[in-house]
Amino acid sequence: MKPRYQNRIELLQGTLDLLILQTLQWGPQHGYGISQAIRSRSGETLQVDTGSLYPALHRLERQKWIKAAWKTSDNKQRVRVYQLTPAGKKQLAQEKSRWEQLSDAIAGIISPREGSEA
Amino acid sequence: MSLFRRRHQELDEEVEGHLRMAADDRVARGENPVEARQSARRELGNAALIHETTGDQWGWRSAETLLQDTRYGFRTLRKSPGFAIVAVLTLALGIGANTAIFSIVDAVLLRPLPFHEPDRVIQVLEKTKGQPYYSVSGEDYFDWEAQNHSLAGSSITTWTESYNASGAGEPETVTIVRAQANFFSVLGAPPFLGRGFAVGEDQAGKDHVAVVSYGFWRRHFAGDANVLGKTLELNYEPYNVVGVMPRGFNFPQGTDIWIPIDHTVEGTSGRGNYSFRVIGRLKDGVTIEQAQADLSAIAARQAQLYPDTNRDKGVRVVALKNLITQDSRDQILILLGAVALVLLVACANVANLLLARASRREREMALRATLGASKMRILRQLLTESVLLSLAGAALGLVGASSCITLAQSTAWLPIPRQNPVSLNTTVLLFTTLVSILVGVLFGLAPALEASRINLVETLKESTRSVANRSGWRRRLRDGLVIAEIATCLALLVGAGLFLRTFAHMRSADIGVHPEDVLTMAIALPSTKYKALPDRRAFYDQLLARVESLPGVEDASLAQTLPLEEDHTWGSYPEGAPDWRAASVPETVNFITPDYFRVMGIPFRAGRNFTPQEFNRSLAVSTEFADMAKQNHNLGMKEYPELACSAILSRAAAQALWPNQNPVGKVFVSGNFPVQVIGVVGDVKDSGIRKAAAPQAYFPLTQDIDNWFYPEKIVVKTRMAPDSAVAAIRSTVQQLDGSLSLFSVRTMQQVVAEDMEDTSLQTTLLAIFAALGMILAAVGIYGVMSYLVSQRTHEIGIRVALGAQPSDILGLVMGHGARLAGLGLAIGAAIALVFARLMSSLLFGVAPTDALTFLSVILFLSFVALLASYIPARRAMRVDPIVALRYE
Repeated sequence: MKPRYQNRIELLQGTLDLLILQTLQWGPQHGYGISQAIRSRSGETLQVDTGSLYPALHRLERQKWIKAAWKTSDNKQRVRVYQLTPAGKKQLAQEKSRWEQLSDAIAGIISPREGSEA
Repeated sequence: MSLFRRRHQELDEEVEGHLRMAADDRVARGENPVEARQSARRELGNAALIHETTGDQWGWRSAETLLQDTRYGFRTLRKSPGFAIVAVLTLALGIGANTAIFSIVDAVLLRPLPFHEPDRVIQVLEKTKGQPYYSVSGEDYFDWEAQNHSLAGSSITTWTESYNASGAGEPETVTIVRAQANFFSVLGAPPFLGRGFAVGEDQAGKDHVAVVSYGFWRRHFAGDANVLGKTLELNYEPYNVVGVMPRGFNFPQGTDIWIPIDHTVEGTSGRGNYSFRVIGRLKDGVTIEQAQADLSAIAARQAQLYPDTNRDKGVRVVALKNLITQDSRDQILILLGAVALVLLVACANVANLLLARASRREREMALRATLGASKMRILRQLLTESVLLSLAGAALGLVGASSCITLAQSTAWLPIPRQNPVSLNTTVLLFTTLVSILVGVLFGLAPALEASRINLVETLKESTRSVANRSGWRRRLRDGLVIAEIATCLALLVGAGLFLRTFAHMRSADIGVHPEDVLTMAIALPSTKYKALPDRRAFYDQLLARVESLPGVEDASLAQTLPLEEDHTWGSYPEGAPDWRAASVPETVNFITPDYFRVMGIPFRAGRNFTPQEFNRSLAVSTEFADMAKQNHNLGMKEYPELACSAILSRAAAQALWPNQNPVGKVFVSGNFPVQVIGVVGDVKDSGIRKAAAPQAYFPLTQDIDNWFYPEKIVVKTRMAPDSAVAAIRSTVQQLDGSLSLFSVRTMQQVVAEDMEDTSLQTTLLAIFAALGMILAAVGIYGVMSYLVSQRTHEIGIRVALGAQPSDILGLVMGHGARLAGLGLAIGAAIALVFARLMSSLLFGVAPTDALTFLSVILFLSFVALLASYIPARRAMRVDPIVALRYE
């Protein structure tokens, strides 16, 4: 329907999906909690854009990789909590290995081994 | 709707919660609450955008859009009620007619027979050289039953017979079928109450049990749940009611009561008596072809064993459903084709209306495009509107269709097979919904595509007039629609015209009798009460004498069958023919009293009528024959001098037996009877107006006075309106025997009309559809022409200002109309030729390419098309150039 727009999201998605799934592997979490976790675990390097986070969460939910439920937080507020599904765990493993391949490949190009230059 | 809203509210709550937590964190880090809130919101970004992009992920966007479009569509249609009403009414006509006809297609052709695994139910017929014999002889059947390997079961039944039901209340003539005990299990139709026949009940002595139809149960027993075990008197013998069939069960069509047949050779009167129907159920996995091969092998053995009767015989295995529907299939499909054409014309009209609307809505579309609507989005919006229109049309059409369907449910109206009731069921509703959506897209697509081809800058800048002129594509589209309408209309009119001509031919066809002032009625004399042949004769003699003495009755006679309805066929050959098989002629036979010829107005061509002596002789011969047959089932194919009798032939029969000779005094052999010809009469159409008169032989009534298959017909010539004699004749019968009743009381003219029932119904329906199509097309042409004139007012004004004469303007507009009509007629003629060829089997006396029909329809349509463009053309002639130019 809106191909240009979706392509742009797709580019960011790859990594964002991986980060969300990885974060949820440590336990159920709400949207704000996920963004905070990513931020602190990356040493404040990665700031998750809220405008990308919620579309991504709802998309992953629709693909049944995560599921959501309304829970009441410690301070009696209703929050939507996300949780990894078994399908999501499988997806996380795949994304992880794809990411490792990609980063290895990119690393190979960016910092070639000494020997090959000589 | 509330689902969408709830989801959106939840998302709001989720984002709001995020905001709150972010702010709380900041406050915890020591920020002041107001500032914390503001920074958190800044960090969050555009909340509305988050909402929008997240909502996109739900996959409901299209449903939400549809809802929006529908609401918007309703609003726009409400704003132009005139357009909406005309469009919805037009579509309601088209869709309603299609729904009504489809409900018949569904009931008759689509739905399976209401039996268990109906695809396995077959009928077995005998066939012979040149013609399929529908009836089976009992003895042949017993061989098939014993020797076949392909049928899970088979059952022999009689055709419907008329019995006298007496006992409680008025005596009533009921329709009976005698059937083998396994009849209901072979069909796979369990009774609704009680049981079917038990094994062994199809033997003489045990066979006084009856299964009644749902209708008879309601009528005769007032739907009494305790009916089982009650006694029913049929032909003066008591029958025990053991079962009631469910409401829908109607096989053979019109049966009131099923009773067991005597499942023996004696009970089915020999190998030469082809009077029975055989149904069967294929074994699981056996195809019709395999069953055909299996039974054909048995028939081949029979031909060797019994060459006299079976040498030229074979069998045919047919799916029962095909046999039941074969006569109506073509008729129903032609009607479906016709209503589809009407719907096409309706679509073209609505498409035209939409096009006209589209040019008025151009600025609206341009505005929407400027505000960011994509071409796809506008197309969707417009299509939603047109589907809304067609759904509204369908809803209205359903109301009309349901009253037509109610009408079609009554048995008397509509001569169609009724194994399934005609009803407005899910299949029909699904069909209507699909058709209306399809139709909505069909008529909406072209206008919508056209409307979405907007050139923003041009449209917003330019004036309406030049915009309209710009669109040559749109004009061609309109022209195309008019051409299509004329073409479709031509096909419809040709179809209706051919049927009208068929109807006229049938009405004026010479049947061979004078049906005026002739009353016919049937009476079945039960063989249980009137067993001896002389008793039967005495009853009939008395009846005729009394009826003839009634005031207003000129002549009274009896006959076994009526013209157009005869199907009693014997084979005959001239005595002394060297090869009787080659010389054999199939004749329809009728058994009559001498006055029959005068009552029916059948002229004598040669010889004389029967004498009382010949009536006595025939009675003696048939008594003798019955005795002989009792002693020896197989009398062989030879004549017995002691069976000599006399007959009167029709001209065609005389011609077939002894071409170009005087037949009077000659002898032919029919079965075992040597028959002397004493007279020749005119030909009578015996099996329908459409068919040529077959050779016929008339015998004295006494020759076949106890045939259970054919109830006797009383045929009376009256001096007054035939109907008014009925009451007196009825009471005459009652005086003779209070337990007898008259049935199928009809004037001979009604008998003729019944033969034309299918055709007259077809003709009426097609004429209605053609008239509908005509009116729609005329409105369409008129609409397009007027629109054209109004769009070209400016141009016409300039032409007039430059000196064009009114006649030039007239020619300009009419010429355009004539070109469209010409093209439409040419295309339509081609379609009509195909359409007419499809219905050629239903025509009579007129070729599918009948020039008169085609020419008159073409002339008529040209006239209508020219008239429809003349009115706007006259308006164009009166255009005042000053007004037209100032109009700008």
